[in-house]
Amino acid sequence: MKRFGRIHGFAVTTLVAAMSMTGITQAGVTDQDIQNDQATTEDVVSYGMGLRGQRYSPLTKVNTDTVKELRPVWAFSFGGEKQRGQESQPMVKDGVMYVTASYSRVFAIDVASGDELWQYDARLPDGIMPCCDVINRGVALYDDLVIFGTLDAKLVALDKSTGKVVWKKTVEDYKAGYSLTAAPIVVNGKVITGVSGGEFGVVGKVEAYDAKTGDILWTRPTVEGHMGYLWKDGKKVETGISGGEAGRTWPGDMWKSGGAATWLGGTYDADTNLMFFGTGNPAPWNSHMRPGDNLFSSSRLAIDPDDGRIVWHFQTTPHDGWDFDGVNELISFDYQEGGKTVKAAATADRNGFFYVLNRENGDFIRGFPFVDKMTWATGLDEKGRPLLVEEGRPGNPAESEGDKGKSVFSAPSFLGGKNWMPMAFNQDTGLFYVPSNEWGMDIWNEATAYKKGAAYLGAGFTISALNDDYIGVLRAMDPKTGKEVWRYKNYAPLWGGVMTTKGGLVFTGNPEGYLMAFDAKTGEQKYKFNTGSGIVGTPITWEQDGEQYVSVVSGWGGAVPLWGGEVAKRVKHLNQGGTVWTFKLPKSAEVAAR
Amino acid sequence: MLSNRLSAFLLGCVCLLAQPAQAREYDDVIASGYVRIGLYRDFPPYSYLENGAPAGVDVEIGKRIAQGLGVRFEPHWITPDENLEDDLRNNVWKGHYLDKNDEQPLALKHLADVMMRVPYDRDYSYMRDSTGEIVNEQVVMFGPYQSERWQVAYDSEKIDRVSTMAVFQYHSIGVEIDSLPSFYLTSGFQGRMRERTHHFASLPQAFAAMQRGEVDAVMGMRGEIDQQLSRAESARYRLGENGFPNMGKQSWDLGMAIKQSNRQLGYAVEEVVDGMIRSGDMATLYADLGLQYELPAFYRDTAER
Repeated sequence: MKRFGRIHGFAVTTLVAAMSMTGITQAGVTDQDIQNDQATTEDVVSYGMGLRGQRYSPLTKVNTDTVKELRPVWAFSFGGEKQRGQESQPMVKDGVMYVTASYSRVFAIDVASGDELWQYDARLPDGIMPCCDVINRGVALYDDLVIFGTLDAKLVALDKSTGKVVWKKTVEDYKAGYSLTAAPIVVNGKVITGVSGGEFGVVGKVEAYDAKTGDILWTRPTVEGHMGYLWKDGKKVETGISGGEAGRTWPGDMWKSGGAATWLGGTYDADTNLMFFGTGNPAPWNSHMRPGDNLFSSSRLAIDPDDGRIVWHFQTTPHDGWDFDGVNELISFDYQEGGKTVKAAATADRNGFFYVLNRENGDFIRGFPFVDKMTWATGLDEKGRPLLVEEGRPGNPAESEGDKGKSVFSAPSFLGGKNWMPMAFNQDTGLFYVPSNEWGMDIWNEATAYKKGAAYLGAGFTISALNDDYIGVLRAMDPKTGKEVWRYKNYAPLWGGVMTTKGGLVFTGNPEGYLMAFDAKTGEQKYKFNTGSGIVGTPITWEQDGEQYVSVVSGWGGAVPLWGGEVAKRVKHLNQGGTVWTFKLPKSAEVAAR
Repeated sequence: MLSNRLSAFLLGCVCLLAQPAQAREYDDVIASGYVRIGLYRDFPPYSYLENGAPAGVDVEIGKRIAQGLGVRFEPHWITPDENLEDDLRNNVWKGHYLDKNDEQPLALKHLADVMMRVPYDRDYSYMRDSTGEIVNEQVVMFGPYQSERWQVAYDSEKIDRVSTMAVFQYHSIGVEIDSLPSFYLTSGFQGRMRERTHHFASLPQAFAAMQRGEVDAVMGMRGEIDQQLSRAESARYRLGENGFPNMGKQSWDLGMAIKQSNRQLGYAVEEVVDGMIRSGDMATLYADLGLQYELPAFYRDTAER
């Protein structure tokens, strides 16, 4: 399928807009709507508020002067017993919000009133053991469909008006350890998803389905040695082995169960017609079992949306032994240097480095640590490969004496300098706003471990804060210099996504429950509101009936409370929840502020 | 991915906050007329379905426990999580987080009254986390009934004899993914067996690959190997005579677990199982299923006295 060039896309959008003037007010979501999502302020129809994932809105009514007048207009409870881990980003189209909740639930809400229009609860099989908690990060919208992934690894398309199932496809076998938690993306009529998976020998992949019918179009494994396929006229055609052949960067048959799960989904850049997906850590966790780079684990992959071909890859943590998943979002952005426009993309990795890449070919432009403390590497070489500290690698269990191997202190912890929560890029300040955490871990091999009635070798961890007064740090980072322009420190770890606006604001939430807004230039806190439970979701903004709205999902959970140690003390008192909070700047306040 | 998944490291304080699932106590079990025995799913020769009916060593012991208590045997099938702490939490004391009933929010979680095949290891039972809390304080691990160890089986048409592990520098060997044999063969011996190690989803699948000629040997738990060998009914596949140098845990004992608040049930179950061991019924039960039986250390030691 041809991609939509910018000018072409604009023309079509104008046509659609003209058509809607003639009475079609409930038009389905089109490819153009999705491609132009960032520029069109009356809706949010993609994860990332634009496929590039910049999470930047050109809206200005809510700004550094008026944000203090922002006020809640409704709060919507997901209800029931299932209050745990709300990491979703809502979508809005034609005055209706589509938002997922934990345990594979989807809600449609009338934005004007906060009334529920419908609810869909996926019926999960008995005895299901999803790898990756019960969270869900959001839906994709296309045509009249609301598409999302379930804990039992199915892609489900619902009718946007009724919430009834239109099609349902099994992406992988949940019994083999697969699950879906990320929001799918839609590129040129294809709905594209990764997979989540535990350590039971899964292999990551990216797949494209026909958004309207759910028919599979292509599949691309993310571990070297596995064959990709394309479906052409109903026939399954080989499209080449990922990485060329098996065994180049893996020993023995380890590539067969190499991990590299694509559990956080991806972004898309129309300029290069490339999708960018991150991959998880290699399996098994013990790196001494698998010498080699273990491609394409802990990497960013540029994938052609037409056929699933891997166009380039950039591996952030070769031979990962610290559980530094490489899944974090790669955000496309342009900047000027020497009178030329650089087509770049940036990512803040779990491993503590911030990378700026050439998004056309994956070349490393620059990289720098964005965390204060890093024990495993001293820097990056000219290709962006980490300069390792050898004693910083967790020990080989085969060489450990007694019950416990040598304990290694490692920073960042395996929960990462930055975890899944998306950062944002502001086109006006040219800065990235990175939700990060300052923590380390002690890691050792635990010989007193059992699994399914058998002796086992586990890894023991304990995570600790590096500072008494904060773990979370929201950072404004300059991608051209590596300089931190400002920081906001938070006592508990930050686990929610970020959004920024032309109004000069940066929005995010914290586990203490506050939705917060900061001055994008200075970091001064301009607004906060307690939502009643921890925020681990990602805020959005849009305009409706001439007023600017902001929404965020509140509901403490995700990975942080699952881990103990010193960090648990900072979060154990936090209450679970499950509420969408919607705010707006009333017209009156807007005028008053002028 | 560790951070993206549930784990055993749900530590002390988090556990204490959690609302405890009400266990069925001894009187409830007797009054209900059945006992729910926790069994790993699809795990031959210990617990599995054969022609739709529960079968295996743990099933047979579970039936004897039910008989001893004068109640009906009811299997509680366990899908294994990543490690034993998870299984104990999901099946013995707290229940699984997906086990929710929207129609009846106050309904009890589905738990096993007694879970089988839980290692009996004092170091493990009293293990403490980094903040000093006992990791598995919510359960009692008791009643050792079998000793287990690692075992190699090989194809005698490919390998003459397995007297030491050294042969696996030259011959391929199949193991289960994410198991101690996999760790041992790929990270031990300076990696010399790494290229010859093949991974399968389960030991029976590795054994089937050996029968198809894809690997020359397999390594797994002795019980698993014994059953595969007796099913193969061919002298071609034989037991290795080798030891496992530098392997952390070569043998371990298996017992049962109950919720710590339900010790009365534990004592009653222990009495039944202890009787089976001392009378020799347990050894017979294993022999009838074609498995070697080794007494747990607790009984070996007391027998010597």
